[in-house]
Amino acid sequence: MLHHLKKPLAFVVRDFGDAASYKLSFLMQFAGIFISILTFFFLSRLFGGVVVSYLQPYGGDYFSFVLIGIAFSGYIGVAQHSIAGTISTAQEMGTLEALMVTQTGVPTILFSSSVSSFIWTTLRVLVYLVLGVVVFGVDMGGANIPAAVLILLLSVTSLGGFGIISASFIMAFKKGDPLSWVFSSLSGFLGGVIYPIEVFPDWLRTCAYLLPITHSLKGMRLALLQGYSTKALVPYILALMLFTVIMLPLSLLIFQKALRKAKMDGSLTQY
Amino acid sequence: MSYIVETFDLTKRYPQIKRYHELLIHPFRKREITALEKVNIRVKSGQVFGLLGPNGAGKTTLIKTLCTLLLPNEGTALVNGYDIVKEDKEVKRSIGYVVNDERSFYWRLTGRQNLGFFAMLNNLSSPLANRRIEEVLRLVGLEADGDKRVKDYSTGMKQRLAIGRGMLSDPQVLFMDEPTRSLDPTIARSLREFIRANIVEGQGKTVFLSTHNLGEAEELCDRIAIIDKGKIKACGTLEEMQALFDGKGRYLIELEKPTHGLVETLRGVFSFELRETEPGRRVTIVVSTDDRWTVPRFIESIVTHGGKVVGCSPGGRTLEEIFSRVTSLRDRKEGLRGGEA
Repeated sequence: MLHHLKKPLAFVVRDFGDAASYKLSFLMQFAGIFISILTFFFLSRLFGGVVVSYLQPYGGDYFSFVLIGIAFSGYIGVAQHSIAGTISTAQEMGTLEALMVTQTGVPTILFSSSVSSFIWTTLRVLVYLVLGVVVFGVDMGGANIPAAVLILLLSVTSLGGFGIISASFIMAFKKGDPLSWVFSSLSGFLGGVIYPIEVFPDWLRTCAYLLPITHSLKGMRLALLQGYSTKALVPYILALMLFTVIMLPLSLLIFQKALRKAKMDGSLTQY
Repeated sequence: MSYIVETFDLTKRYPQIKRYHELLIHPFRKREITALEKVNIRVKSGQVFGLLGPNGAGKTTLIKTLCTLLLPNEGTALVNGYDIVKEDKEVKRSIGYVVNDERSFYWRLTGRQNLGFFAMLNNLSSPLANRRIEEVLRLVGLEADGDKRVKDYSTGMKQRLAIGRGMLSDPQVLFMDEPTRSLDPTIARSLREFIRANIVEGQGKTVFLSTHNLGEAEELCDRIAIIDKGKIKACGTLEEMQALFDGKGRYLIELEKPTHGLVETLRGVFSFELRETEPGRRVTIVVSTDDRWTVPRFIESIVTHGGKVVGCSPGGRTLEEIFSRVTSLRDRKEGLRGGEA
């Protein structure tokens, strides 16, 4: 088991060493987290004690609702963009050839290179949640943490498939990844990051359920804010499992095709 | 006879980017440029094999194809007995690729950290990785600089670190793409000496390198293939190529201050090439002949007509001459392809 973790760990050590060498940027990111929370805190005060019926399923408090949204949408961004970002950064830095000629397979390189982004995002999410609970008084006393962790893992694997397809576009066509653009725009609009999907008309709400982020955020909020049991969260868990089972193998197949195209075209290191 | 590298009609074509009007008029028509055309070479183990060619000849394409970074359109190649298309994992275990791009490292990490990272990706266990890192740092003369960040390395140090990285997994064959391209002459010379003495003679490795530096190929390589426009034009040792081109004995007769009349008189009797060695002072007459008496008769004739011979030696064609001739022959089918390399 430990043997299999060596390569991801090597990537994490590399990325941490690199990130820590940019000290100002390293510290500024924490300041950014605090400011974004503060923005939504004051936005929530706008509503004051007004009861918003759309927020009732999540406990009725807008700040708690949006805190989960912005905290966990970070994961979605990472799952979707980190692999493509790794490929394009390695192409631009000139390290991709050196990586590809090693004895490590491409899927391992893809997975390992995004691990540090997920660890970093987890730290950010923890900071978000701790600040939310300690400084701004969000109540998560009854949270179902194991179910939230399960939903998080399934969110990462299901969204990771879209991320690998996005990386395939970068590998094959270098720029102009249409999937990432469409998926990001739709996820931001339909996924329920800063407002609940209950505000949509029925047909638009149906469209929202075609995106994994919708199930991910809804399940996460119900687990953390309302303390739903794992059994009650099964519909969201199954939906995310379905996305994973379909998207992950499909995305790896597409990436292999894209890699083959880049090797045929001689464009592996071009950007 | 087994070879460490062997190619079989290896052909590589790159698609060319279409213009907008071509996309509209002929959306499915392919535009391709041939980078390698039916390349057949063989490299024996424990040698320095040089791939010599002008810019754009196909050197990098051939090396990248052998390193599994590119897929051939036709033909194939064996590296250490493994097929580059079907057995790419085994090929990667057998090779070290010295990437000729100083950006191929993580500049904000130290040399040792970079090597540690690539050692893990090459499946070296931690104790073995640590031992190999120390060995290769010592081998490339960077043991005192291993803890400096790569951004603080000179170009020559980065190049040596790249060689160290290529040597980490103790590969059978090391591929180097123009390893001295961005180095000053002194560093380039020391790197050539290092490749010969430490890697080939010291470690018994095979080095497959590309260069457009004729002196480097002549000084360093046991065998050379001249590539131009994707085709191997000549292949073999320098002596084999000289024989292939001349087929005759070649002699250099050095004269001091010859008169115009003397040269014209000699031209009336012999066939030769005249080179001005030291302008106004010395010239060299190049005579190609199979007749053992031609040179004595030539010298006798010079002396008889008042010339002063200051030297006479056998002299094959230089690699520069062979290279110029080969690359100017272009597509003439003169049977210049050598046998095994």
